[in-house]
Amino acid sequence: MIGADVSVPAVIPSAPARAVRRDRRVLSGAAYVTPTALMVGVFFLVPLGLMLWMSVHDWPLLGPSTFNAPRNYTGIVDNALFIDAVWFTVEYTLIISVLLFAAAFGLALLVQQRRPGIAFFRTAFFLPGAVGFAAASLLFYGLLSRDLGPLNPILSSLGIIDKPVSWVSGSPGLALGSSVGLVLWRFTGVNMLILLTGLQAIPTDLYEAAKMDGAGRWQQFWSITLPLLRPTIALVLILITTGSLLAFDQFFILTNGGPDNSTTSIVMVIFREAFTRFDLGSAAAISVILLLALLVINMLQLRVMRRQSH
Amino acid sequence: MRGSIASVCRALRAAMPPSWLPLRRAQLAWLSVALCLTLAGCKKSDPTGATPTGKLDNGTTITMWTRAATSAQSQLLVDAYNASHENKVQLTVIPTDNYAQKVATAAGGNALPDLFAADVIFAPNYTSKNLYLDITERIAALPFKDKLAPSHIQLGTYKGKRYAVPHTIDLSVIFWNKDLYTKAGLDPEKGPRTLAELGEQARKVQTLGGEINGTTEGGNCGGCGVFTLWPSVWAAGGEVMNAEGTVATLDSPAVKSVLSIWRQLYADGVAQPGSKDEQGPTWVGRFLSGKVGVAPMPSTTLALMDKAGLHVGVAPISGPDGGESTFVGGDVIGISSTSSKPDAAWNFLEWTLSETTQVQIMAKNKDLLLRTDLAENAFSSADPRMVTSLKVLAKGKTPYALNFNQTFNDPQGPWLATMRGALFGPDLEAALAQGNAKVTASLSPR
Amino acid sequence: MAIGKLVSRSSYYTTLSALAILFLFPLVWAAWAAVKPTPGSGQQLGYGIGNFIKLARYGQGLPTYVLNSVQVAALTVTGTLTVATLGGYAFARFRFPGRNLIFLATLAILMVPYPTLLIPLYVLLGWLGLQNSLLGLALVFTLFQLPFAVFIMRNSFEAVPTELDEAAMVDGCNSFAVLTRILLHAVRPGLITIGLFAFLASWNDFIGPLILISSPDKIPLPVAVVNMQQQVFGSIDYAALEAGVTLLALPCVVLFLILQRGYVQGFMSGSLHG
Repeated sequence: MIGADVSVPAVIPSAPARAVRRDRRVLSGAAYVTPTALMVGVFFLVPLGLMLWMSVHDWPLLGPSTFNAPRNYTGIVDNALFIDAVWFTVEYTLIISVLLFAAAFGLALLVQQRRPGIAFFRTAFFLPGAVGFAAASLLFYGLLSRDLGPLNPILSSLGIIDKPVSWVSGSPGLALGSSVGLVLWRFTGVNMLILLTGLQAIPTDLYEAAKMDGAGRWQQFWSITLPLLRPTIALVLILITTGSLLAFDQFFILTNGGPDNSTTSIVMVIFREAFTRFDLGSAAAISVILLLALLVINMLQLRVMRRQSH
Repeated sequence: MRGSIASVCRALRAAMPPSWLPLRRAQLAWLSVALCLTLAGCKKSDPTGATPTGKLDNGTTITMWTRAATSAQSQLLVDAYNASHENKVQLTVIPTDNYAQKVATAAGGNALPDLFAADVIFAPNYTSKNLYLDITERIAALPFKDKLAPSHIQLGTYKGKRYAVPHTIDLSVIFWNKDLYTKAGLDPEKGPRTLAELGEQARKVQTLGGEINGTTEGGNCGGCGVFTLWPSVWAAGGEVMNAEGTVATLDSPAVKSVLSIWRQLYADGVAQPGSKDEQGPTWVGRFLSGKVGVAPMPSTTLALMDKAGLHVGVAPISGPDGGESTFVGGDVIGISSTSSKPDAAWNFLEWTLSETTQVQIMAKNKDLLLRTDLAENAFSSADPRMVTSLKVLAKGKTPYALNFNQTFNDPQGPWLATMRGALFGPDLEAALAQGNAKVTASLSPR
Repeated sequence: MAIGKLVSRSSYYTTLSALAILFLFPLVWAAWAAVKPTPGSGQQLGYGIGNFIKLARYGQGLPTYVLNSVQVAALTVTGTLTVATLGGYAFARFRFPGRNLIFLATLAILMVPYPTLLIPLYVLLGWLGLQNSLLGLALVFTLFQLPFAVFIMRNSFEAVPTELDEAAMVDGCNSFAVLTRILLHAVRPGLITIGLFAFLASWNDFIGPLILISSPDKIPLPVAVVNMQQQVFGSIDYAALEAGVTLLALPCVVLFLILQRGYVQGFMSGSLHG
């Protein structure tokens, strides 16, 4: 019963009347939260449990399932593709975390002041973030292609290269570089915006006071900006590391996991287990491990950030 | 069931008033009997497809999937069928690389179309998972049942039952560019008879320089590799795996010999350097561009070659020192086990296998025919290149393996890594030895 | 002194401009590549929309894919706005048993990687009869919008002073009327924000429909355009591909530019004070 009509008398209602009103409020609140609770229950909690359940079964894509713990998990150790994917994904995450954070932070510092025309630049940096990631990957697929891409013609006319380079599949290094370039282009603006919000939330009189005390720009940065920006930095780093550990689109679309499986990420392995090997149980087991790893990493990051602020 | 129909018919006859129709009562009785018998007869067709000869051409819409690689042939057949029948086939073309996944997710979600073609080497996987309807009896009712392409039928058979018929045949053969041969000083009418000879002729073409290359391959494409390299192994009398498709023999002398020839061609720059990264989508386009001297290619590209204005010769794929073989590929097609229109679907399949269709449509399009009794027909016999293909068909193989896709076609599978290690890596023997173990592991059933 | 400032200011703007060119170049190039003449494509001579026309005829027809995307996006935005508004209202204004638990459970979705949950969701949707359906896909998208959306809406509602509610209730409104007549207007920036995010996520998502949709006539635009990487036998039509990319990116860029003011406000009103 959503919000039954309650006419409020001019005087403070008596205790029983207040109790009735409180109960009606409880019911209303429960009613309003029901859609949320239903969604979370049915489409989040149930699949979460199902993932654990599937991970201890031999669950083929087509056909009945049989209990087989702990074989899905022990099989992971023998899965060479998965082991390589873990190494690659971790290496990739470290590279992206450093580069993307530095780029976003640098840009945020650059555009934080209200100068004329700054809104245009902020928009320009953020605009790639409006494009979907699959679309961005396809964009780069064409941009870096030998047939249509402008990169090879431009570079060779500048004399930097002497024959066309296969940016996406020429070598593991090039494939990784192309993916990193794509991610930097697409996500620097977004993270810049988040950091910008945090920077602008710092009261300017703190800087005034510090300047009057004779503190230089670097001093202000270390003692005011960084500490107060800590929660924002934590958020950005968590977003970046989580996103990198879960990378899929760019490797599926741009590099196809290659060359020679050098850019195959963990989620690509999960996808392959499920839909090429038709082994949903194994896919679920790898998913559980990935989930636990992410939980641990995020907890650690939060704890490190919190400890430093004391 | 029959008893109740009979009782209904009796009740009908009894219920009809004498003045209802200007017919005498006896005539009416015969009419109702005939009606009842017809109804009883129609009731016999059931969705499990057990009726051997049930077929319908009554305006049903039949959905069909095909791979992008096969779409030209499928489209040809579908267009011709739709133009001459009440039934209409709705063809959907699915990207080749995703095809296996799409079929799997659709099957898991109960969303398969009425008909779907499949790469013949995936057939064992699909039949073992009950994706196709059992059509053993339907096939047995065909007058030409023994003349259907044997390897296709074999791969569509599981535990003695037949689930698929041939749809297209695609052989791997050597194409050579006669114009480039003439320019390079080679006899344009003589293609390579051994793999070693292919190498020599390619090297000669390579000397033309510029953008011209001697040969090309799908260097980053597992499926291209099995299609073009394995026949050389078979022609040399070797094997790549056992007959059940569970143990690989990639470290055998024949495989080493074949791969080292190709390794040398790449090392010497005779094979298109860019083809090292070729994942498959533009593999055929490389030869079609007219810039490659000689290369193993799918036989189904013959029509495309002519359309592109190339003058090509066709030779069987040979081993290092001789012999002839081919990879008998292409597609099979079957009715999905969840289809509600098996009879209409079978109507289309049976039509595709008929003599008129095969000769007038497929042979005319320079495609190989699915029936051995029609192999020598007006069109195919007129084109000596097709005759070559036909002759080598008899010497070809279609390898059988349940886990074929995830082992050999998948870009993340062990075969591609093995092949690339042997062709481009530091040590061919080591790559084959290590890779063989991984391939065997991938082939063994779970 | 003045010249020093001039130099530093011009070098500042030069740097910014160079960076802006770097960021904008790919977008501009994509749009240009879609309309410029390219041999072997749908647009061979002169500038024009030949690639888009070729794209329109691809597969099941471009209108089909665009319609699928529009349907999914509409369902997702509607679902997100409804569920998150009601939920945010509940968390901000009411006390009921399980309040903290449900809120934490909603936020916990952020901790679970989206791609990993897709495998069991694939199975679950099958059980619910929602497999291979745009509705099922939209429900999944809505779910993953909830942590951010509910958080934003709760903060938005909390930022509105309760005096407004009480004044309305004195006038005889029930809680639902308070929500619809008074509060919705006050939290509009938040609504715009979560609506925009819901649209962007559902319009652009790739791995979700890749796994959950199997019929070729139900796939949304991103999957359809990626399929074009392997469609044409023997060659890749990059120009048509870039036309598809432009089509995918255009609504997002336009929407963002239009809603920019409301968006930035919304982000800051529901921002990191909590």
